[in-house]
Amino acid sequence: MKVEARHFETELAIIGSGIAGFAASIFAVNRKISSAQVGNTGAVAYTTGYLDLLGAAEDSQAALDNPWDGLRQLQKSYPDHPLSRISTEDIRKGFEQFTAFLGECGIAYTAPEETNITALTPAGTLKKTLCVPATMAAGPKAFTTKTPCVIVDFKGLKGFSAKQVVANLQDKWPDLSAARITFPDMDKGEIYPEVMARAIEVPKTRIQLAKRLQQAAGTAKVVGLPAVLGMHAPDMVREELEQLTGLQLFEIPTMPPSVPGIRLREMFEQVFPQKGITLIPQQKVTSLSFHDDGGLLRLSDNYGPITIEAQAVILATGRFLSGGLEAHINGITECLLDLPVSQPTSRNHWYQDTYTDRKGHAIHKAGIETDTSFRPLDQNGQPYNERLFAAGIILAHQDWIRGRSGAGIAIATAYKAVEAAERSLHAFSR
Amino acid sequence: MSEQKIPTINFKEKALELLPEGASFEACLTCGLCSSGCPASGIENMDPRKFIRMAMLGMDEELSNTPWVWCCTQCKRCQHVCPMSIDISQLVFLARSNWPQEMKPTGIVRSCQLIRSTDSTSAMGLPPEDFVFVVEDVLEEVRETQPAFKNLQAPMDKKGAHFFVNQNSREPMNEPDEMVPLWKIFNLVGADWTYASKGWAAENFCMFSGDEAAWYEVIKKRVDAVNELGCTVWLNTECGHSYYTMWNAINRFGMEADFKLESLITYYALWIREGKLQVNSRWNTNNIKFTVQDPCMIVRKAYGESIAEDMRFVVKCLVGEDNFIDMQPNRSANYCCGGGGGFLQAGMTEHRRTYGKRKFDQIAATGAAYVLTPCHNCHSQMEDIGHHYGGNYGVVHFWTLICLSLGILGENERTYLGPDLLTLIDG
Repeated sequence: MKVEARHFETELAIIGSGIAGFAASIFAVNRKISSAQVGNTGAVAYTTGYLDLLGAAEDSQAALDNPWDGLRQLQKSYPDHPLSRISTEDIRKGFEQFTAFLGECGIAYTAPEETNITALTPAGTLKKTLCVPATMAAGPKAFTTKTPCVIVDFKGLKGFSAKQVVANLQDKWPDLSAARITFPDMDKGEIYPEVMARAIEVPKTRIQLAKRLQQAAGTAKVVGLPAVLGMHAPDMVREELEQLTGLQLFEIPTMPPSVPGIRLREMFEQVFPQKGITLIPQQKVTSLSFHDDGGLLRLSDNYGPITIEAQAVILATGRFLSGGLEAHINGITECLLDLPVSQPTSRNHWYQDTYTDRKGHAIHKAGIETDTSFRPLDQNGQPYNERLFAAGIILAHQDWIRGRSGAGIAIATAYKAVEAAERSLHAFSR
Repeated sequence: MSEQKIPTINFKEKALELLPEGASFEACLTCGLCSSGCPASGIENMDPRKFIRMAMLGMDEELSNTPWVWCCTQCKRCQHVCPMSIDISQLVFLARSNWPQEMKPTGIVRSCQLIRSTDSTSAMGLPPEDFVFVVEDVLEEVRETQPAFKNLQAPMDKKGAHFFVNQNSREPMNEPDEMVPLWKIFNLVGADWTYASKGWAAENFCMFSGDEAAWYEVIKKRVDAVNELGCTVWLNTECGHSYYTMWNAINRFGMEADFKLESLITYYALWIREGKLQVNSRWNTNNIKFTVQDPCMIVRKAYGESIAEDMRFVVKCLVGEDNFIDMQPNRSANYCCGGGGGFLQAGMTEHRRTYGKRKFDQIAATGAAYVLTPCHNCHSQMEDIGHHYGGNYGVVHFWTLICLSLGILGENERTYLGPDLLTLIDG
C-alpha cells in the first residue's frame, strides 16, 4: 500500500503533554515561536485543577501561607531545587501568562496572589495552592468566612462523599452539612464525573439538576459539589446553574479520573491547533537525534510514521508515570537520550523504611541535571546539545508531591526553558 | 438443539502474544479514565477497566462469556485516553473470535455471510449485475429528468481510472437516488473515476464478527478488484468502517496493494481549496446550525487530526463559520455513536440506545439542527437515538449539502432535509 510519510518543520519541538509541555507551548505562542508538541496522554488528566506553586516547606512539611516567602527560604536551604534557580518575578510571569491563557480559552482561573489559597480536597482536608479554577473559587471563600453551606454528593458516584467532607471539616466549619441527590437520568449503577459533566452541558439537564440542588440546599445559600459543572464551558454552566438556583455554587475536586484535568486536556487539544501549534497528543516520541541545524523527532501514530524537524527541543517527558524516566534493577535511566540521571547511589537508598516517613523518599528527587539555561547535562557536566532544553518533573532535586509544587515546577521551568530556547533560536539564526 | 458452549480463553497469556514488546496490561494504573470515557461502561455490568482487571486476575470464564464484547464497539477511545496506552479492543476482538459462530449475534454473522456470497462484497447481498443495473438505471433517469446533467457519467469497470470509488450497499439497495449527488460532484470537478462491478461495496461486518479468515477473504477480493482495474486511488466514500477494515487488513495481513487508500473527505476539502467545488454558505440565510460527527473509524482509529480538520473546513465552507458548532468532545476524543462495531446489526437495541445516550447528549448540547457525518453507521445510529430520546435534529450526508450549496440537488435527492432546509431551496 502506498503511504506518504508525514513530515513537519518547526522552530521548537516540545516533547511531553503534561502541564510542563502544555505550558511550554503556551509560552512559545506568546513569544510567537512556531512549535510542535508531542507526547502521549500525560498525567494532566489526573490534576485536581488547582495550580500549586509551593504549598509546603521542604523540611518541616508545614503548610505555607505565603509561597513567595517559602521560595526565598527554599533558595537558601535547597539551591539546587528547580524553583530556587528561577527569580520570583519570572515564576509570577509564568503563572500570570498560563492562567491568562486558560481564561481566554474558556477555563477561567484566579490570578496568582501574594498568598496561597486554602483549598478543599476530595476528602475534606485542606491544602495550600496558588490559583484555582473560577468554578472552585467560592469554596475557599466560604470556608474562610464560615458561611452556612451544604456539600452535595450523588447517588452512584464513587470517590466523593459529602459526609466525609463534612466530617473532616466540621470542627472548623460548624455550619456545614451534607446531602445526597440523584443526578438526572442517572439513577442506576456507577456514574462518573466525566459523564455527569458532559450531561450538564445539555440545557434540559441543568434545569432538572437545579431543582434538586435547590431542595438539597434548604436554607443555605452556598452549595459545594463534586467537580462536574460542565466539561467544555464550565464557567457558563456554573453561572447558569447559579441563576437557575439562586445559590452560590462551587466545585470540589474529585478523585481521578476527574473532570478538571480532562477539561484542560480537551481544551488544549482544541485550542492549540487553532493557535498554529502542531499538536500530536497521543503518541510517544520513539527517537530524538541532533544534527548541526537542530533535532529530529521520530514517532508513529495510527496512520504511520511522522518526523518532526525542529531548531530547538524541550524535553518535558515527566518522571516515571509519564515515561520520562525508567527504574531498573540497577538504577534509573532517562528514556529518550539516555541522559545521566541524578539518583541515589544504590537501589537500597531509594526508599526510607517507612512509606509515610516524613523525610520523604530519595527516589522522588531523581531526575536530570541542567545548566542555568535549563539545558540537560551530559556525563561531563556539559550541555548535551546547545539546542536541547528541559522542563517539568523530569528535573532533579525536587519532590513535587511533598512540596505541593507540581504545577509551580512545571510552569516556571517551562517558562525559563522557552525563554532560553528563544535565545538559542536567535543565536543560531544569526 | 445442541448445547453450544463458549470455550474459555486464557486472556492474560493471549495478551502477552498480542502486545508489542515492552507493552503490558499490567501497566494499568486502574485509574479508570477508560471507563469514565466509555459509553459502554455499565452495560452488562462491565466496563473497560473491569475487563482488564478481570483479565489480569484470570477471570477467564466470565470474560469469555460476557455479551459485553458485542456492546463494545472497538472504537479505541479507552486506549486514546489511557496514560499507558493500553489497547483493550484487541482483547474484545479476541473474545468475539472465540464465540462459536452459532452463538454470535445473528445480524453480524449474516451480514458477513452475505458479503461473502457475491463478488460485490455487499453486506446486503446485492450481486454485481444488479449493482450495474441500478447504476445504469438511475443514471439514465437523471439524464432524462435533469437537463443540466444530461451528460452525467457513472463509469463502471473503467480500466486505469484514477479513483476506484466504493459505495455503501444501502444506496443501490434502498435509496439509489442518494448516489446521484456524489456523481454530480465527480462530474463537476472532472474526476477520473470508476465504480467496479466487483468489490465495490463499502461495508465489512466480517471484522466485527471476529472472523479473521472471512475478513481477509473480503479485503482480498476488494484489493484484487482495484489492482485489476489498475486504479491509483481506492477512494472511500462516506463510510467509516469500510475504510478502517481495508486499511487495517492490508497492513495486518501484509497484502499487496498497488494503490493509495484515501477518504472522500480529503478530496472534498482539496477540491474546495482548489476552487473546483465552488461551494458557499450564502444559501443559509436563516443561519441554521450544524454540527459534525467524527467517525471513529477514519478519525481516531486511522487518519487522526488531519481528516478531522478537513471535515471542519468543508462544513464551515458549506454552512458558514458561525453556523458550525463543534460537538464536545470532538476529533480523536469524540465518542463513538454506538452504531459501530456491528452494534446496529447485533439486535441489542436497548443496549445500543443506552450506549447512544452519550452521543445524544453531545448533539443536544450543541443545539444544532443537523449533524453532518461521512459514515453510514453513524448516520443510522444518530437518527435512531434522535427519535428514541426525543431529539429534533436531522442527519445529513456531506454530498447532499455540497449539492444543496451548489444549487444542484435534485428533487429525489432531498430525503434527509427537514422543512427548514427544503423551504430555503424552494423559497
